[in-house]
Amino acid sequence: MERSVGREEDRLGAALSRAAQGDSMAFAELVREHQGMVFSIAYHYMQDRSLAEDLAQEVFLELYQGLARIQSAAHLTFWLRRVTANRCIDQGRKKLRRREQALEEAPEPVASNAPADPLLLERLQQSVAGLPERQRMVVILRFQEGLGPAEIAEALDMPVNTVKSTLHRSLEELRKGLTRKLREVRYAFF
Amino acid sequence: MHFSEDDLREALKRKDPGEGFTQRVMARVEQAKAEGKTKPANGNGNRSFLAWWRLRPAWTFAVVALLLLGFAWGGYQYSEYRHGEEMRIAAEKQRQMEEKQKELQAEAEKAKAQAILALEIARAKLNHVLQQAQVPVGIDKIRRQRL
Repeated sequence: MERSVGREEDRLGAALSRAAQGDSMAFAELVREHQGMVFSIAYHYMQDRSLAEDLAQEVFLELYQGLARIQSAAHLTFWLRRVTANRCIDQGRKKLRRREQALEEAPEPVASNAPADPLLLERLQQSVAGLPERQRMVVILRFQEGLGPAEIAEALDMPVNTVKSTLHRSLEELRKGLTRKLREVRYAFF
Repeated sequence: MHFSEDDLREALKRKDPGEGFTQRVMARVEQAKAEGKTKPANGNGNRSFLAWWRLRPAWTFAVVALLLLGFAWGGYQYSEYRHGEEMRIAAEKQRQMEEKQKELQAEAEKAKAQAILALEIARAKLNHVLQQAQVPVGIDKIRRQRL
């Protein structure tokens, strides 16, 4: 397992060096490798497929222009998460109204597996999208990317304790929000 | 409605951006290369604008501080100029008074010399008259007879 991770890092490291020297194919390999992560952070944050794709493209364009600054495969992943998170927070403030309109219109992106409980997952996605900016990004980085509080703190320039309290508060809000929505559904039915 | 952290992981699992995403990114990269862009794309411009926007209080403070410093420096320079002007005017007045005093002194010296000269002339005339007046009567008679 460790060997395969090491091999993967070596492969990405080699691609990174080639891309930094101007090899377009190597850069395309880096994009393919990380597009799911970048796009998903943006999509879960903005709940708008086209905005998420635009943002992801801009992030990769910025990466291309700053490839010389990236030192390793791990640094690349960290850099992409950090830049995507910051861009999402900036863009989210500007596009708040547009996002609210797009929530209902947004087509569902392609998911790799069929969800166990589609209703619950949809409600969860909507509830996450309704969280305040920082809380939303902390939840996405924790549960989409599986980052620990220290890594989230580093990516978002926040104290670790703040990340922990934000996570706790966000989960509480998600639980309360879902309970409220369930009541609304019951009223609608009965 | 209860949910577990696994549900949340499932809801937030990575999505595929769909077919052709890599090609679209590469097309944008090629376009940027063709345009010879060395600066980051539009988004970055927005970010720098945002960064500037967030720094507004700092900029405002800096501008106000600069203006205050400018006013203070200007006020100091003006007061220095006023002080210099006052000193120059006072020195000019002093010089004029000294010149006037010198002129008056010269006139006084001249008047004194004239008065002394007048007194000398008067003294000489008086001496002559006195000498005439002191000549004896007999001599005067003889003198007249001779004439």
